[in-house]
Amino acid sequence: MGRGGFFGRYLRVDLGQKRAEHVPLDEATLRAVVGGVGLGALLLGRETPPGFDPLGPEAALVLAFGPLVGTPLTTSAKLAFVAKSPLTGRISDGLSSSAFAIAGKRAGVDAIVLVGAAEEPSIVLVDEAGATLVPCPELWGRDFAISEASERLGQAYPDHRFAVIGVAGERLVRYAGIANDGRHAGRGGLGAVLGAKRVKAIGVRGIRPVPLADAEATLRIAKDLARRSLGPATEKYRSLGTVANLSTFNRLAALPTRNFQASTFEDARRIEGEALHETRERGRGSCKSCTIGCEHFFEVRPGQRPVKMEYENLFALGPLCGIGDPEVVLRASSACDELGIDTISAGGTIAFAMECAEKGLFPAGPLAEEARDLVFGAGERLLSMLEDIARRRTPLGDLLAEGSRRAAEIVGGEAPSFAPHVKGLEIPGYEPRALQTMALGFAVGTRGADHNRSGAYEADFSGKVNRFEPDAAEAAEHAVAAEDRAAVMDSLILCKFLRRAMDDFYGESAEMLRAVTGLPFEAKDLVEAAGRITLVRRLFNEREGWTPAEDTLPARFFEEKLPGGAAKGAGIDRARFARSIDAYHARRGLDERGFVPAEVAREMMAWMGGKYR
Amino acid sequence: MVTIELYGVARLRAGREVIELDARSLGEALLGLGATCPVLEPSIVAGGRLAPGWLVALNGAQITADPETPLGDGDVVVLVSADAGG
Ligand code: SF4
Repeated sequence: MGRGGFFGRYLRVDLGQKRAEHVPLDEATLRAVVGGVGLGALLLGRETPPGFDPLGPEAALVLAFGPLVGTPLTTSAKLAFVAKSPLTGRISDGLSSSAFAIAGKRAGVDAIVLVGAAEEPSIVLVDEAGATLVPCPELWGRDFAISEASERLGQAYPDHRFAVIGVAGERLVRYAGIANDGRHAGRGGLGAVLGAKRVKAIGVRGIRPVPLADAEATLRIAKDLARRSLGPATEKYRSLGTVANLSTFNRLAALPTRNFQASTFEDARRIEGEALHETRERGRGSCKSCTIGCEHFFEVRPGQRPVKMEYENLFALGPLCGIGDPEVVLRASSACDELGIDTISAGGTIAFAMECAEKGLFPAGPLAEEARDLVFGAGERLLSMLEDIARRRTPLGDLLAEGSRRAAEIVGGEAPSFAPHVKGLEIPGYEPRALQTMALGFAVGTRGADHNRSGAYEADFSGKVNRFEPDAAEAAEHAVAAEDRAAVMDSLILCKFLRRAMDDFYGESAEMLRAVTGLPFEAKDLVEAAGRITLVRRLFNEREGWTPAEDTLPARFFEEKLPGGAAKGAGIDRARFARSIDAYHARRGLDERGFVPAEVAREMMAWMGGKYR
Repeated sequence: MVTIELYGVARLRAGREVIELDARSLGEALLGLGATCPVLEPSIVAGGRLAPGWLVALNGAQITADPETPLGDGDVVVLVSADAGG
């Protein structure tokens, strides 16, 4: 084991048996997958049997830290929650940044793995010695907002930091998230995985310093990185935040509108980041250990607590649902955070239902009755729908709590052709027809449609490809490169908003790892790790039933052209897209159908501990 | 006459959304932009070129940073940050 960064063990908590044990992790394994999403994927495969139910007792929820967590490096206070998604049936890894990550790592572990299910609603308290299960009848089924539940836990256990689920997680909403310190591991329904284990919250208490192999070098790098993190490459995040995307995307006709029926929104001016900044901005914040500070808070109404807003929340609860009232969008975003549901999946599923309602597709009866006033632009209805979904308290709320793919299968008819998902995960705020390298990134993503694990939009916005008709091989090259960089950043773990502040991404990442861990990481090791991490995820998905047919997009994107704006007439050509997918698979080293070749899988499984295929 | 539209940080800094000027190429338009809005120099436009991390979408569609890109009367230069993520 190296001299820093890693502790060389993880804590395995069996909730059913009320037993916890430390399990060793060897240096070769940690070097191979680094940490974060890489380590999480590896442990998920090891700890689960093939074909398990993501909401059943055999499911595992992994909280994986990275070697840089707890060090002075900016944006390093991150952890990855990794599990099989109840929304997609495939791997899901949600990241968030917080003091929770640092406290968890400082309990002297590289990861915490929860298996089994508690007999009764409980919280799990973790410290250096292990874990304890404490029943929490006072918190479960009480309809508390996440902020209130967190506050109560903080008062009861002031030495611990908490990751908490909301009402939606308790009710097994398939896109419920996990919150910690106001940040959310939102995507893929990992909050429902915790809810199914009858765990309301995980509390961590850690006092063990994270060892640094070369403290002097680490500090030098940290200072330099902090300085660069305040340069022009991050000005957008500091001055406006990600909400700045909205006006640009609208102008470039890449802004998903009315459930992807259009890519420009007539009310964009009212909710764009620049307007919010001018009229409603009330302060900035940052995740723990971050020098950038991309969080921007906006006023809902005078005297009320300002609300944090990101582009993805803004697009999903705004244009995607045809809503241009900034107050409604802010309230909706805040409601999702307090109920504990993913904003992108919530917005996507409701927008899908709005289109179904407008087309009269809901079967006559309670669903059609309830959906009568669910039209695009109906702001108050959006707000009540979020509550209905999170509590599964009405027939339509219950249906939409299943996500757009399952809802579409139940509604039937033409609904599945416009349900806005890939592998069941609702599509983020990048119109695939206007950004076709990103479209490929969405289609092949192991987590489903995913702007965090694929940054292929960077190629579309770079001018290096024709964003309406990229060459298949070029698109594949860019998609792999973007996915690889994301895999490494998410395994270190550092925030992606740092990426442009780094000149030599792999070289600098290796330098950080050498300083922190004392292990001989080189740039080429990280390039290899990136590919390996993606293959570990794909092997897991293959084991859980992935087929090549899943690497695609909904029919709408091939069959309907964009109606207006700078992307008017754009559509995705099926044959060219199929060639891009083939090119991606080849470039990834997969076989002609997209599977991990048998000999590669055998070799990987030998060191991963089996059970992946 | 060409129109330059500003978004995000550029709009915030310049305090303007639109600038109209005469230019026959992107380079000329960027020189004009820098002269009209010196606050954009040098971190957004620098001597007739775009600073790293900035691009234009010509008429909202074709994305480029090439100063040789010819412009004609009525063209719209949309200045955008390449960091369109998150
Ligand atoms: S840049 Fe933003 S998301 Fe990234 S660590 Fe800092 S505050 Fe968190």
